[in-house]
Amino acid sequence: MRLKLWRETEAVLFTLPALIPLLIFWLGPLGYIVYLSFTDWDFMSPDKLFVGLDNYSYLLTNSEFYRSLKVTLLFGFGSVLPTIVGGLALAMLMNSKIKSSGLFRTLLFSPWVTPTVAVSIAWSWIFEPEVGLANLLLGWVGISPIGWLKDQNWALVAVLIVTLWKSIGWSMVFYLVALRNLPSDLLEAASIDGAGSWDKFRSITLPLISPTTFFLSIILTIQSLQAYDQINVMTQGGPAGSTRTLLYMYYQSAFESFNVGEASSIAVVIILICVLLSGVSFLLGRRLVHY
Amino acid sequence: MNMTTLSNQTRKDNRREEVQKRKVPRAGKGFATALRYLLLVLVSLTMAFPFYWMVISGLKTNDEIWQFPPTFWPETFRWNNYVDAWQSAPFARYILNSTGVAAAICLIQVINSSMMAYALTHMRFRIKGVLTGLILVGYMIPSTAVYLPSYLVLSELKLLDSYTGLIVSNCVSVFSIFLIRQAFMQVSHELVEAGQLDGASHFRILWTIMTPLVRSSFAVMVLITFIDQYNNYFWPMLITKDPNLQLVSAGLRSFFVEGGAYGLAWPQIMAASAFTIAPLLILFLFTQKTIMQSVNITAGVNKN
Repeated sequence: MRLKLWRETEAVLFTLPALIPLLIFWLGPLGYIVYLSFTDWDFMSPDKLFVGLDNYSYLLTNSEFYRSLKVTLLFGFGSVLPTIVGGLALAMLMNSKIKSSGLFRTLLFSPWVTPTVAVSIAWSWIFEPEVGLANLLLGWVGISPIGWLKDQNWALVAVLIVTLWKSIGWSMVFYLVALRNLPSDLLEAASIDGAGSWDKFRSITLPLISPTTFFLSIILTIQSLQAYDQINVMTQGGPAGSTRTLLYMYYQSAFESFNVGEASSIAVVIILICVLLSGVSFLLGRRLVHY
Repeated sequence: MNMTTLSNQTRKDNRREEVQKRKVPRAGKGFATALRYLLLVLVSLTMAFPFYWMVISGLKTNDEIWQFPPTFWPETFRWNNYVDAWQSAPFARYILNSTGVAAAICLIQVINSSMMAYALTHMRFRIKGVLTGLILVGYMIPSTAVYLPSYLVLSELKLLDSYTGLIVSNCVSVFSIFLIRQAFMQVSHELVEAGQLDGASHFRILWTIMTPLVRSSFAVMVLITFIDQYNNYFWPMLITKDPNLQLVSAGLRSFFVEGGAYGLAWPQIMAASAFTIAPLLILFLFTQKTIMQSVNITAGVNKN
């Protein structure tokens, strides 16, 4: 009996070095932010006044909030979809025997390793409206210059281009692993049966790599909800809120306008979106993904 | 074992080639391959181009960089821009800060992730299921969403504006725990039992038997964590206001906004960006096999 008790205690002791910081910096704050979202605190006043659901009802009647929600969705779709499709396309290009594929892989993957702040600064120079490279390229194909980061119709596109540039090589490497693990017998059998490349891709490759697609869509969606660095460097949420995602709005209302209550309610919305997405993906994963 | 799989692989490859030869006429195949290379070269050059542009723009004069259409090659290489940029902000200090903080975080994470992963995979206790669930959820919820309350917690602990605060608040990562747990699950439980029969403590089994067995997973974990922490911007920027404590991303950003006078000294800004990313690109060149391996392991994580 005492031995068993010791065994339990020892195991819990092993988890403590990770568990204590997890509780202090992750689980605790998670509870704390839900509580804060019911108050109207401003960082300064000693008391936190309980205001019930006021912050939430304010959010739901605030057009800025809906605008941010829309930007968040556009950013999510605009970054996840091309990253997945592009990553798969590149992986298909690299999949057959290619000379110096290591070199290609290095070139394509390197943006992922570099600090977002530094590369975003370089990209803002490329998007410079007067002398920037992006407008030079457009000029070559006969398109008139775009204001890019200064134009509310294009700023989000510019931020998305950088985001895609950073992550496409990363998703390609995931697909390379998945493609390498495909059973070649199955593909050969299909070839012998006269299946064309497109048929093979659609009815064998695509279903068999669905776990990778599924995993990438979850991770990339969570990453898109966390995107901050490139927005902060390139646009600061502007112009006119056209790149202000929910996370950016949360940051601004917390650390620029000091509305802790309102900021917390936005954070809770972000967390709810994640919980919802994980729930949906869990159900979908059971049904659609072939392991 | 490795040899047989290898030769199996080549045999399969040969067979596959035969099939392909039968299906596609030679000229068509040559054309397809050429197209494939052409596309790959184009895409790779496009991806690498911003790096080139950064380095090259850092070498131009201010007049040259403001010239339209831009030139792809500077008239003379103004290496002085790099020296100027390096001297106009304490970049050596920033890089050292980032490296030190990232290294400390890596070290602590190795310890707590391996202990947690060991407990989750090779020990029996009641709240194991709860803990595994907790970590799974932690993987799903973005940490950026709780930055505000974490900030308040750090301020309560009087750890704002200190490396201790930065290190302590980053010292555990759900991702690292996942990675190591994945590796430990592959190790047979009999090894642990054998160790116990010999009278070794769990601690000893963990450090002398388990850890050496999964060295490569630790290498992956340390590299990914190091890169993440070196590049970290949002959280360090929130909690450190003292310029001396700034990490490299935040330092570069202040140089961009203040020291570089927002776009007036573009060559210096580009030079500074270039030497900020250089250490990482070099690290990547030497360790790319290990870094790519992270994909193998992460991709395995979701299957459990």
